[in-house]
Amino acid sequence: MTVPVTIVMIEDDEGHARLIEKNIRRAGVNNEIVPFRDGTGAIDYLFGVDGTAIVNRGKPLLILLDLNLPDMTGIDILKRVKENEHLKRIPVVVLTTTDDKHEIQRCYDLGCNVYVTKPVNYENFANAIRQLGLFFAVIQVPEAE
Amino acid sequence: MPLAITYKPHWYTGQPLLMLAGFLVLTAIAATSAWLVFKSQEDAAVAAASVQVQYDLTTQQARVRRTESFQRGYLLTGEPRMLEQYQASAALVVPATQRLREVLADDPEQLQRLEALTPTIDAKLTELAETVALVQAGDAAAALALVRSGRGEALMEEIADGFEAMREIERRDFSDRSQAARLSSLALIVVTVAGILIILMVAAFALYLVSRATRQLGEAHAALATANFDLEARVAERTADLSEANLEIQRFAYIVSHDLRAPLVNIMGFTSELEALRDDVFVRLERLRAQAGDEAGADTELAADFTEALGFIKSSIDKMDRLINAILRLSREGRREFRPEVIDAKALVEGIGASLAHRLQEIDASLSIGSLPSLETDRLALEQVFTNLIDNAIKYRRRDVPARVEISGRFDGRSVVYEVADNGRGIDARDLERVFELFRRAGTQDQPGEGIGLAHVKTLVRRLGGAITVRSDLNKGTTFTVRLPRRWLPPTHERLQEEPG
Repeated sequence: MTVPVTIVMIEDDEGHARLIEKNIRRAGVNNEIVPFRDGTGAIDYLFGVDGTAIVNRGKPLLILLDLNLPDMTGIDILKRVKENEHLKRIPVVVLTTTDDKHEIQRCYDLGCNVYVTKPVNYENFANAIRQLGLFFAVIQVPEAE
Repeated sequence: MPLAITYKPHWYTGQPLLMLAGFLVLTAIAATSAWLVFKSQEDAAVAAASVQVQYDLTTQQARVRRTESFQRGYLLTGEPRMLEQYQASAALVVPATQRLREVLADDPEQLQRLEALTPTIDAKLTELAETVALVQAGDAAAALALVRSGRGEALMEEIADGFEAMREIERRDFSDRSQAARLSSLALIVVTVAGILIILMVAAFALYLVSRATRQLGEAHAALATANFDLEARVAERTADLSEANLEIQRFAYIVSHDLRAPLVNIMGFTSELEALRDDVFVRLERLRAQAGDEAGADTELAADFTEALGFIKSSIDKMDRLINAILRLSREGRREFRPEVIDAKALVEGIGASLAHRLQEIDASLSIGSLPSLETDRLALEQVFTNLIDNAIKYRRRDVPARVEISGRFDGRSVVYEVADNGRGIDARDLERVFELFRRAGTQDQPGEGIGLAHVKTLVRRLGGAITVRSDLNKGTTFTVRLPRRWLPPTHERLQEEPG
């Protein structure tokens, strides 16, 4: 039996979070979206109280990650996820405003799977998120081990 | 540390004076020496002449005595040989007196004495002749009587005294002259030695001055070197400060533009959502109105107001987005690491011209590229500078004449100077400085753009170590002058600074 993928959305800007969710839904993606507005909450959810992430064993997850967070940078979260033996195969989509070359390189070096820059133009933004939603609908996501 | 260098140049102006003094002393010594030598020689000559006179006087005296001796011999013997000797000797006396006169011609006193003595000599000669004549006449007794009378003896004594007096005077003269000659020689030695001493002193003083001046010059050099070093250090420090400030501003611009973007995404997103909502609302409103029996199109005005408001919001967001992007681009350009390489500027500008060829043809514009000196700098930056300037020249052309853009260049010392001149609409003198400011534009605002191009160019040129200036005649044309170093060297600070990741 296939368990539906849970989308963990780590985005500090409420407006952005809302727009992202709206557009993902418009793409026909009905998976559960768990939003977090800061890094600490997301870390707690992903790694559990014991910090081993054993809590998410067997769950298919997908992380939507913004890099600019109030309490830490998205890079820190990405690093921890990719270093954790249970979470390392989880697809991480970095969705952020930064389009700095070095930043992009760094994220891919750390194992990010997709890097998307948020377009300011809403039409493009909506388009990008919808396509991302369509993409989510077709990709295979492994379960956390 | 003060930059002023204490320096006493009057020591240098003293040196020619010193040399002049030395030269004068030398000349004086030479002249005095020459005069003393001459005087000494003259004294010696006079002394020698005096000795000669003494000799001559003695000889004359002896001659008279000899004549007397031969006379006595004849008187005693009566031999004709004695008579001959007497006659020969007597004949010499008068010419010798004449010769003495000539020798003493320059000494009136001695001459006078000689003249005074001459009658006595004549008298003596006459006395001798008388006795000889008496013997020849055979009256020997009369002759002897004459001799015995002692008159001849007295005359002879008188002559001897006279000559002795004259010799005495000559001896005194000789002594005086010799003394004078000795004194002259002594003076010569004294003057020469004194002169040498003075020259040595002058030379020593001059050496002292020269060494002192040299030392001062060395100190001044050292001070200058220190000042230069300090200055360089200070310049480097300021440059580092400036670069630091510049980097800070760029980082700030980068962060700000990013953080401005995030809310903009929301404004834009929700405005679009609002737009979609508006459509839904009006569709629903129309349906409700239809149910209520109102006439169609009752809310058209309301809908138009909505559209207008949303339109303003959206266009403002667009503009803001463009500005933020521009700042971002500028800040990114400012942080980009330059890679200097040797660039054929003419080829580079020709490349830009080729990429614009279609547009140039369309608007009947021409581009003339003169000989442009090559340089070593960042290719992309230089390309952007030229592209922006040429683009501006075409963009702000006059509509009534075909646009002409001329690009020329030259070497100027360690710099290269490029000029981009157009025959466009020109810039009002009031706006000349403004054109380089960010988001500021000059003249009629009929062209798209954010007012970034020239600000960007100025930043680039500055980073390339150069400067850009503009001169313009309104309605005639504008010339931008770009001065760049022949070889771009990264500022020390930037070389140490790691590119932020």
